[in-house]
Amino acid sequence: MRVKQILILAPTLVSLFLLQSYFWVPTFEEQVKGDPGRLTRYIQTSIGDASILNPTLAADSASSDINSLVFEGLIDRNRDLAFRGRLAESWEIFEEAYMVVDDTQRLPDGNPVTADRLLRHLEKARAAGDPALRLVQKIELLPGQSKIEQIEVAIPRQESGKPKKRMVEVTVHLPPRLKFTLSEVDQDFFVKLNSLLRGYGNRIDPSRFIEGAEPVITRERAAALVPPTEHNPIVLFRLRKGVLFQDGHEFDSGDVKFTYQAIMAPENLSPRVPDFEPVKAVEPLGRYTVKIIYKRLFEPGFGSWGMGILPEHLLNRERLKAEAIRLGRDPKTYSIRDSAFNRAPIGTGPFRFAEWKTDQFIRLRRFRDYWEGSPNLREYLYRVIPDLLTAELTFYAGTSDAYGAQPHQVERLKHDPRFQNFSRLGLGYTYIGYNMRRPIFQDVRVRKALGMAINVQEIIDYVLYRQAERTTGPYPKQTEFYNPTVRPLPYDPEGALRLLAEAGWTRNAEGWLEKDGKPLAFTLLTNLGNEVRKAVMVVAQNAWRRLGIKVETLIMEWAVFINERVDKGDFDALILGWSMGLDADLYQIFHSSQMGHFQLNFVGYSNPEADALMIRIRQEYNRARQVEMARRLHQIVAQDQPYTFLFVGKGLTLLDRKLVRMIRDPDGTPQYLPIVADKLGRINFHFNQWVKTSEPVLAAY
Amino acid sequence: MATLTESRPSEVTVSPSRIAWRFFLRNRTAVAGMLACVVFFVVAVLGLVLTKGESPVLNPRQVRLADKFKPPLSLPNPQAVPAEDLPRLGIYLLGTDDLGRDVFARMLEGAYVSLLVGFVAVGIAVAIGITLGGIAGYYGRVRIGVGRLRLMTWDTLIAGLIDVFLSFPSFFLILTVVAVLKPSIWNIMVVIGFTSWTGTARFVRAEILALREQDFVQAAHALGVPGPQIILRHLIPNAIAPVLVSATLGIAYAILTEAGLSFLGFGVPPPDATWGNILSDGKNFLFDASWLTVIPGTAILIVVLAFNLFGEGLREAFNPKLRQL
Amino acid sequence: MLSALLRIGWKKLWTLFFVSVISFAVIHLAPGQPSQIDPLNPRFTPEQLERYRKAFDLDLPYHVQYVRFYRKLFTGELRAFKDSQPVLPKIVERFWNSFPLFLVGTVLIWCYAFPLGIASAIRRNSLFDKVTTVIVFALISVPGFYLAYLLIIFVVQTFHVDVIGLRTFGREGVAAPLRLMDRTWHLVLPSVLGATAGIAVLSRYVRSQMLEVINSDYVRTARAKGLGEDTVLYKHALRNALLPFVTMLGLLVPALIGGSVIIETIFAWPGIGRLGYEAVLSRDYPIVISLNFIAAVLTLLGTLLSDVLYMVADPRIRLEAE
Repeated sequence: MRVKQILILAPTLVSLFLLQSYFWVPTFEEQVKGDPGRLTRYIQTSIGDASILNPTLAADSASSDINSLVFEGLIDRNRDLAFRGRLAESWEIFEEAYMVVDDTQRLPDGNPVTADRLLRHLEKARAAGDPALRLVQKIELLPGQSKIEQIEVAIPRQESGKPKKRMVEVTVHLPPRLKFTLSEVDQDFFVKLNSLLRGYGNRIDPSRFIEGAEPVITRERAAALVPPTEHNPIVLFRLRKGVLFQDGHEFDSGDVKFTYQAIMAPENLSPRVPDFEPVKAVEPLGRYTVKIIYKRLFEPGFGSWGMGILPEHLLNRERLKAEAIRLGRDPKTYSIRDSAFNRAPIGTGPFRFAEWKTDQFIRLRRFRDYWEGSPNLREYLYRVIPDLLTAELTFYAGTSDAYGAQPHQVERLKHDPRFQNFSRLGLGYTYIGYNMRRPIFQDVRVRKALGMAINVQEIIDYVLYRQAERTTGPYPKQTEFYNPTVRPLPYDPEGALRLLAEAGWTRNAEGWLEKDGKPLAFTLLTNLGNEVRKAVMVVAQNAWRRLGIKVETLIMEWAVFINERVDKGDFDALILGWSMGLDADLYQIFHSSQMGHFQLNFVGYSNPEADALMIRIRQEYNRARQVEMARRLHQIVAQDQPYTFLFVGKGLTLLDRKLVRMIRDPDGTPQYLPIVADKLGRINFHFNQWVKTSEPVLAAY
Repeated sequence: MATLTESRPSEVTVSPSRIAWRFFLRNRTAVAGMLACVVFFVVAVLGLVLTKGESPVLNPRQVRLADKFKPPLSLPNPQAVPAEDLPRLGIYLLGTDDLGRDVFARMLEGAYVSLLVGFVAVGIAVAIGITLGGIAGYYGRVRIGVGRLRLMTWDTLIAGLIDVFLSFPSFFLILTVVAVLKPSIWNIMVVIGFTSWTGTARFVRAEILALREQDFVQAAHALGVPGPQIILRHLIPNAIAPVLVSATLGIAYAILTEAGLSFLGFGVPPPDATWGNILSDGKNFLFDASWLTVIPGTAILIVVLAFNLFGEGLREAFNPKLRQL
Repeated sequence: MLSALLRIGWKKLWTLFFVSVISFAVIHLAPGQPSQIDPLNPRFTPEQLERYRKAFDLDLPYHVQYVRFYRKLFTGELRAFKDSQPVLPKIVERFWNSFPLFLVGTVLIWCYAFPLGIASAIRRNSLFDKVTTVIVFALISVPGFYLAYLLIIFVVQTFHVDVIGLRTFGREGVAAPLRLMDRTWHLVLPSVLGATAGIAVLSRYVRSQMLEVINSDYVRTARAKGLGEDTVLYKHALRNALLPFVTMLGLLVPALIGGSVIIETIFAWPGIGRLGYEAVLSRDYPIVISLNFIAAVLTLLGTLLSDVLYMVADPRIRLEAE
């Protein structure tokens, strides 16, 4: 019967066809032999795909991985984390400061103030070597001017309830001002100047210079229009000459200005706006010099110039308009965010973009005209594998070259002769944060006791297999800001009970802690998908229950956790992590002004001394002074324990042993060097020198 | 109504199910499946008794970091673990997990939670299925009107609804809804229930369509018994066989779906342990602690297989066309 | 005939409408928002998140959102939140990536389900029947991802070959036959895994249909006429038992798409299942809604096709429809 034969033959044939394909596929051993090109391709795996290949718009780590190879900033950090010039060859930081001439006041010598007298008075003091003017290079007089401005004012509450807003036209009479050029940024310049001028600056009333809306305008609004005194830190970058974009166009100062404008343009919705908002203007001085003027003192802003520079000639208004018309879109609303550039970027970095298959891979090819010399590897492939176990298996099968191991795998893989491994401290720390708006957590003794009850060393030893280090405060241990004299909280459950007893919490008949008949009970939250946080949560719950604290736990999905709980301050205690910046600025995370909904001081930490320090730290451009203040701040935060600071994780990366660095001697003979990690554990600092050899060329090290 | 029930022809009430039962007992794989299901019930109830409460007999939440990743049948280390934390049994029957929790206790707890998920989800699905199937079967030809307009019959509406639900890839739909609602044990049960009633509804509808024309229903109708009462008291009890079949298979489906959701990170969240989330947590340690996947994986396999075989046996036993041999 | 066709079409249109409403409504149960925000970057402020919401019209009333959404979808204007790429071409591209999986999966289902089902029906209650029953059910009783891991680890550890993704990654510039076979090999594991459920369900269905038909009067008549057993089984019985399978054709689509979520995630397969999962993770509403909707439309097309086939094949249906 034919039907019967078909029924038997069909599955047999199909199965045979499928299975025979095995013989055509290279095994791990043959892989390199059959395809020599494989050695010139470096394959990196990632859990997630990139979303937008534009450094000014990307907010995810996968996009940043690619952007950092295709684009380059003006500066970056060298192996010791100090700033190093890239597209900028060198730079200077100085300050321009302004002060209004207020002719209603008198000088210390009793004469009424005029612009000339004030200038002469200060020049005389400078010539006499007055310490207040030590840094001043030059004092100039700027004439006053008048202009008309539209401002929005709030009209006091009406019967209808909501305060109304309306636009008011005012005339601003900008008075003559003195401009001081300082050789260094000095946040105390006006304090010193004020004492020289007997409080002159404090007495200036800016409302005097605004005409037309006196009854409704506040002093602060007036000060925003006519600041009595103003610090303008300046960064002067001298750019590298002859650097080419990957399409052959030369990079110049216009591209720097353009990148700044692209970030600040509201239609682009750039997530980098907060980093660049303190910039007042970016002024090209010729092709190879750029002057960055800041509105106010903001030291962390300098590091933001590591941002990749966009090519103006490919993204300017005309190009976008042409692109919009070609695609039939409205040219008025077509922004950089819409441009096809974001999926086929061109920068000045060592690798040029070649191909992107969404959720599969991104292919980069080396840029032969890279200013620092062409990379050795021909291709960089960024492969997306969403599942960790699968990613591990591709590493064993030789179809990826690097693997970021999880702590529990370290013991098994660390000594494998096939791999080289790099284990270094990272920048992210894990903490338990307490909501200090809740009465139970207002007492520092309670927060301290909760921290003392947790055996952090045990978590590090057993949960993280020693792939983490204890931390005591909010700064990276690799930087000078970290205060090594601060001791971690001891593990001491007995001491914790004593502290709680001091705070009024005592054990009741059932063994639960209570105060005035109320039990010590709260909920500990964390987000879904982070195994380490989950483990910390279980350990903490266990430890606290042992003290007699009723702890409930809840794991929530990220978006809900952030939007519904963290942003609204609706939680008792939570486990989270911060990835620390390399700058000393903690304003957003710990300043008491940042406690509102949707702000980052969601635990509600407030300490006047810490507040003052945080402001001074972000305004301080002198490294030594900044370090000193940061260490003091670290100490205060550690004393107050708004968080229980737990640990900083280490990153373990495994590489195929066949990957090494290769540099050529002047006579052209190759010389092989081991790959080394920098202070942050980044191994790709010398990525351009990497090669893959068919056999390991260096002895195990 | 009692008189009416008694006046039913006896073949209709008793014999089909008894014949089916006898037939079912002859199918040894199905009986084995049923027995396994019974064992699972007992284990789940034991799990509830032994692992719930503030100080349970076997504590699935006890963390002993020093004793993590102990393979099955290993002894605890009394030096490193405080005496009050040692397992009651004195041995880790099924080993410990990455936090040193007793896998045996966790599996017991998980048995109860997994069964609960299956039961509630199926309960919801069956309730919806019976209601809609019953309406479609009994009132099938009645038209629904808006004002004067007679739009469509109940049967068309419900058949349409079934079509709509069958059109969605159910796992993806469940994933979507669980993800947007946030994964909690109740959400998962409700969502699985709300998306898997179509089978029951179709079976019930077909069964009631067949029964509706029978004499005892016609008689009840002639006596003026209201429709809902006829459906509830006379039709549903006679259509229970297909409901039972789809409920049994539904539990298997719910347990598996929960495991799949756990794998994608949208399963029943801790602290509730289910076999699904024990399995998917264990997969991170496949190379380092294989028992963390082998044990829950095998347990799910056995239980789901048991429900499937049981359900399939029932299906065959209740299908008169297949019974004659 | 024509009126019956029109009637079916009309019904499908209604279904389509409800499908579109449900797929859109489901998403608005959400309290979450697009998670563009990077968890570890403290500089990304909520003001920006707010701006995202505005820019992507999340603040309009729902019915306006609904109309605008489908209008944009059909005009191809709809763009994903994550990368601002048009949604429709993205889904189409991913569908073609998944297509070989679906195709090979379906072929495997049909190739195995029929012989297995028929053989168990003929040898009902034999050892063969029992063993296949248990094996078939065991295959669908293991959580799919666990089975997948066991298979992958087994193959990688034993044969040292790559099984992840569309092809052996990083191997380029090889001849066409090698490339074809490489791709075929990478199809084997995921499509086998995708087919297990289908094989189990369909083979049981074939078995019970065959049993019903074998016990029916006309088959008995055919036997009584003295026709050979093979002729009776494969000509008379099978043909009649086949008829209801036509209806299952359309319903394979949602099963394959639903099942592909887990398998494609594990195998790093860039198909629509994985697209859906990643979109769910990042709350990429346009993609999630469109995918649910498009999958449902595909199913509707499938069922429409099987309805029509059924009508052509079985004259009784035609009459009933009149």
